[in-house]
Amino acid sequence: MKFHSFLFINFLIISGILSSCTKENPTPVTEGDSNDVILEFDNRVGAQKLVLGETLYQTGTGESFTVSTFNYFVSNVSLKKTDGSNIKFPDQYFLIRQADNNSWEPVLKNVPAGDYQEITFTIGVDSTKSVSPVGERKGVLDEGSYGDDGMYWSWNSGYIFLKLEGTSPAAPANGAGIRRFQMHVGGFGGMTSATINNLRTVTLPFPQNQLATVRKTVAPTIHVIANLQKIFSGKTTVKIADTPAIHMPAAAVPLANNYVHMFTVDHTHNE
Amino acid sequence: MSRVSLLLVSVLLVWSCSAPGESNPEVHFTVPANFPEPVYAFERNPMTSAGVELGKALFNEPLLSRDNSFSCAECHSQPYGFTHHGHDVSHGIDNLKGTRNSLSLQNLAWESSFFWDGGVGDLDFVPIAPITNAVELGETTKNVLDKLRATKKYPLLFKKAFGSEEITTERFLKAFSQFMVTLVSAHSRYDKFVRNEGETLTPEEQAGLKLFEQKCSSCHQGALFTDHSFRNNGLFVQGVKDEGRAKVTELEKDKYTFRVPSLRNVAVTGPYMHDGRFYTLEAVLDHYAEGVQDTQNLDPVLRQKPGLGIALTLQERQQIVAFLKTLTDEEFLKNKRFAAE
Repeated sequence: MKFHSFLFINFLIISGILSSCTKENPTPVTEGDSNDVILEFDNRVGAQKLVLGETLYQTGTGESFTVSTFNYFVSNVSLKKTDGSNIKFPDQYFLIRQADNNSWEPVLKNVPAGDYQEITFTIGVDSTKSVSPVGERKGVLDEGSYGDDGMYWSWNSGYIFLKLEGTSPAAPANGAGIRRFQMHVGGFGGMTSATINNLRTVTLPFPQNQLATVRKTVAPTIHVIANLQKIFSGKTTVKIADTPAIHMPAAAVPLANNYVHMFTVDHTHNE
Repeated sequence: MSRVSLLLVSVLLVWSCSAPGESNPEVHFTVPANFPEPVYAFERNPMTSAGVELGKALFNEPLLSRDNSFSCAECHSQPYGFTHHGHDVSHGIDNLKGTRNSLSLQNLAWESSFFWDGGVGDLDFVPIAPITNAVELGETTKNVLDKLRATKKYPLLFKKAFGSEEITTERFLKAFSQFMVTLVSAHSRYDKFVRNEGETLTPEEQAGLKLFEQKCSSCHQGALFTDHSFRNNGLFVQGVKDEGRAKVTELEKDKYTFRVPSLRNVAVTGPYMHDGRFYTLEAVLDHYAEGVQDTQNLDPVLRQKPGLGIALTLQERQQIVAFLKTLTDEEFLKNKRFAAE
């Protein structure tokens, strides 16, 4: 009881801070000013924090699972101002890897001062970049940077847009008795003939009164929650028992159609 | 004349792209007079002697495999047209077997897709596939780069090729390509015959050439002996029931279609077909004459005679085989430039 009231007081204090951050009247926009915008990706399973390893979670259909790997690419970000204009951030690719907390908060640089109300981004690596020369594959697009946690299909050239791996009693046991499931989503639409395209674009309006107000002294954070439980439910229910190993674009379509709805902007900080 | 000017253009291209400061630039790549224009993007990867040498060293480097036991050259051996002689499919790391026959490596600057299913569309990205394949070299590119960085030899070779000791994925892959595009086979007896370089073909070989042009060259086209397409040549669907190109495109129309391979050096690149099921050229010709199966997406050119396939008498098959042997390029197979030091 004591603990709960402590939490509640904390909650009051934090929400007080948050609302003060956002309700405060921002300073007027000065033309030519710019600052960073931080995208904070907060991966969760339903109402639980995502912790890699032993923690057991449940899908909507009641299959329990653990998560060993959860990675996804975010690219082609654009921010919409309150006047309706869009600022685009082309040629910037972010790889969110749950195993690496340094990857959770990618930064958009030199964002023009203004009031922003909405974010759009692509989950994956667009087709142009997917067929670009090796000299243009730097940073998170460098296949030689992945090690055992590969985000690239070498035999069918292209990036893995989203990768979810773990164990589940619903998955069949391998030779070592481990019940592993692997869901790899890729497919940028084909090099020569049209093939499956699992690129998905997400547009997320910010909650009411939660603008991101970029100023010379204000570098806002956009707090995005990704609820990976939604990968299993949405347009199509995905059961680990039915598809414990997805490594091809066609089989991954239901996942892409589901996870396009897994993101929400929870709030913004203007600090 | 246009061929000559094309040749000059490519020589100039190589020269003008050579690393600054490199004296006496060598010609690393030339377009044979009877060949079309290459498709490899040379302008993005200027060739140098040091780059080609580095690529060759990497091609023969066992550090590319997980247990440092074997290199690319294991399954792509020069005397056999850079194939795995005598192997229907190859065994890789931990003696695991793959499902496809190792393709010859030659005239790669003229290819715009790679592997039996065309799953890779840029030569620069080809090495990643065998390196990371669990039944081939079984390694990660990251580990390979780390292992190379830890050697005495490679930082120096990278410096010679690219100006600094830094070993990156891009440099690694570009050096590979620089070596691979030098593997040009254009000095077979057939080439010397068509270029009027004083070579003659026997009457049997000439008869074979004529038959080949009538009956085979719609797919095995032109100087490269391929039209670069993917086709179903009516093989019995057996074993792992490999769906070919459909494995990468997931399209019905691509089921059971495979690359139309070049036939250069074909006499030494057996066994044949994507799974190495035919051990001799005679068996291949017998297939086209008598063995073609009516499977999904069978190529229309194999439906033109009753009973499917290509009408070929026993004598005609022999003549075609005799002709195919004129595509063996001894200079290519024995060229010391391509061999490990």
